Amino acid sequence: MANSKVLLDVKDVSLSFGGLDALKNVSYQVTEGELFAVIGPNGAGKTSIFNCLNAVYKPQTGSAKLDGVELLDLRPADTAELGIARTFQNLALFTNLSVIDNLMLGRHHLLRSGPISGPLWWGKARREEEVQRRRCAEIADFLDLADHGSMPVGALPYGVQKRIEMGRALAMEPRLLLLDEPVAGMNQEETEETAHHILQIRRELGIATLLVEHQMDLVMDLADRVMVLDFGQVVAIGEPAEIQRNERVHQVYLGGAS
Amino acid sequence: MTALLRRSDSANPGMRQGHLDSVALFSTGWKKFGLLLGLAIYLLGPLMLSDFQLSVIDYAGIAAIGAIGLNVLTGYTGQISLGHGFFLGAGAFTAAYFGGNLDLPLPLWLAAAAVVGALIGLVIGPFALRLKGSYLAIITLGLVFLGQHIFENWKSVTGGLSGRAVTAPVKLGPVDFANLDIGGKEFSREGGYFYLIWAVVALVALLVKNLMRTRLGRAFQAVRDRDAAAEVIGVRLARTKVMSFVVSSSLAAVAGALYGSFQRFVNPEEFGLFLSIEFVAMIVIGGAATIYGPVLGALFITAVPFLIEEWSDRIPGVATEAGETGITVFALNQALFGLLIIGFLVLEPRGLAALWARIKVYFLAWPFSY
Repeated sequence: MANSKVLLDVKDVSLSFGGLDALKNVSYQVTEGELFAVIGPNGAGKTSIFNCLNAVYKPQTGSAKLDGVELLDLRPADTAELGIARTFQNLALFTNLSVIDNLMLGRHHLLRSGPISGPLWWGKARREEEVQRRRCAEIADFLDLADHGSMPVGALPYGVQKRIEMGRALAMEPRLLLLDEPVAGMNQEETEETAHHILQIRRELGIATLLVEHQMDLVMDLADRVMVLDFGQVVAIGEPAEIQRNERVHQVYLGGAS
Repeated sequence: MTALLRRSDSANPGMRQGHLDSVALFSTGWKKFGLLLGLAIYLLGPLMLSDFQLSVIDYAGIAAIGAIGLNVLTGYTGQISLGHGFFLGAGAFTAAYFGGNLDLPLPLWLAAAAVVGALIGLVIGPFALRLKGSYLAIITLGLVFLGQHIFENWKSVTGGLSGRAVTAPVKLGPVDFANLDIGGKEFSREGGYFYLIWAVVALVALLVKNLMRTRLGRAFQAVRDRDAAAEVIGVRLARTKVMSFVVSSSLAAVAGALYGSFQRFVNPEEFGLFLSIEFVAMIVIGGAATIYGPVLGALFITAVPFLIEEWSDRIPGVATEAGETGITVFALNQALFGLLIIGFLVLEPRGLAALWARIKVYFLAWPFSY
C-alpha cells in the first residue's frame, strides 16, 4: 500500500431479498491505491457487494462512504460521476458500437455537449470529441486494444471484449475500480495478459481496485489484502499469506467440522 | 495519469492520426461521389421530372424526415413506438394554426411545429420510461387513439372531422417555394416544394448524424444495447430516453407541418394507426440505426402505392373502378406493407441499407464470392 488513507469505508451493510440474506453486517475498508480482493464460494455475495457500491441494490442497513460521501443514497449514474467504475461478470458492452465509442461512453459523465451543441457539431462538440477521442485512443493503446479501432465490439473475441470492458471502466477516470471476475472463461495466455494489465493499472495509474475473482493463484499473487465471504458474511480479511493459513477459510472452501 | 500519457506517445500510429477520421461524414471516395450525385439530382430533379413524379418524391421526402425521427427513437434508442402518426398530426395542425390562422412566415411555423412536437414528446416520454418492447408499443398505440380524439374534437384548430385547409405561406425572403421562379425559369408547385423539402431532409439527416456521433446520441445507443450498463457508467436513463422521444417527435412534427403545407388540406383521419405502421415499415425496410436507411425506406414505401395504382389494371384481382369485384388498391397496399415487413424481418432485418452494403462488398470482392 503506497499510502494508507482510507478511500472506501463500508460499515455493517446488510442486504436481503425477501427472506434471503445476501449480505449480513459486511464491513471493510479499502485504502487509496490498494488492490483489495473479494473471494468466496458461489452465492457468497461477491457481486452483491459491487451492486451496493454501484447503487444498483439498496441495502436495508449500513453505510458505504467513498472519501466521505455516502454511496447508498445515490443513484447508479451518480456513483459513476463520483468515480466508481466497474466491469461485469457477464459482458455488458455496447455491442453495436466500436471500441472507441464504448470507451467514449465511459467518459460520458466528463462530456458536456447536448441536444443543441451536439447536432450543430462544428465548434464546442467537435473540439470535445477530438480531445476525448484522443484520450480514448491512449487508453486503448494502454490495454493493447488499438488494433480493433472501428469494429463493432460484439464481433470481437471474448477475451478482447473483457479487456474492452476494463478499458471502458478506465475511461471513466475512476478513483475506485470494481473488477468482477476479469479472467473468468479465459485461457492461460489471456489470464496472464489480464493479470499484467491489472498490475499495470495499479502501478502506473494507482487506482484503488476491488477485485472479485475465483482463480486463487491470481488473487494471491496480485492482491494486497483479501476478504473472504461465505453466505453473505465476512469470514476473514487479511493479507494473502494470512488468508491461506486461516482455518475458517479452509472450512469454507473445503468443508469440514465447523 | 501522466504515465499513461507518456506511454501512448510511442504507441500505434494508426490510431493516432486524426482522432475524428473514424467519424468523418464523407470519409471515402465513394461517399464523396454519392454526395455529388445527390447534389446533382437535387439541382436537376425539378428540371427533368414530371410534376407527378415530383409530387411522389416530395411526399417521400416528407416521409423521410419523419422516418429519420422515428429511427432516432426506435433504431438508435431501441424504443418501439406506434405513436409516430400522432406526432405528424400534431405538426400538421400546428402548421395550419401558426401558418394559417396566425399567418406566421415559413421559418416560424416550421419552428413552432418542431417546438410543439418536442413539448409533446417531453410530456409523453416519461410515461414510456418504465416500459420496454411490446408494452411500450401498446402505450404508444393508445396515443394514436387519444390523438384521433383530440384532432376530431378540437375544432377551432383542427377543423374537426372534416379537416381543414392549410394556408401556411412557404416564402423564405423573396423565394416562394409554391411559386418558384429562378432567373425567369418558373417551377411548378411540386418542383418548388422539392427544393424546400429535400433541403430540410438533408439538414435533418446532417443534424441527426452529428447527434449520433456526440455525447447524447452515443447515450441513446448505449441505452439500446445495454441499458443497465449504461446507467452504471453514468448515462441517466430517464433523461436520455425522454430526450430521444423529444428529438423523435420534434422531427415527426416538422414532417407533419411540411405534409400539411404541401397537401394544403389535412384531415384527422390521416394520422391514424396506419400512418404509424407505415413509418415502422420504412425504418424496418430501409434499415434501422443508419442515416440513409430511413430515407431509402421512405422512398420505397411512398413509391409503392403509386406503382400499384399505375399497374393496378394489370394486377389480377384488384378493383380499380367502383362496382368491380376484387380488393381495393388501398387494401392491397396494406397487405403488401405487412408482407414486406415480415419479409424483411425474416430475410434481412437490417433492411435495404444492409442489402446495399452487401452488394458493395460483393463488387469489391469481385470476381471472388468470399
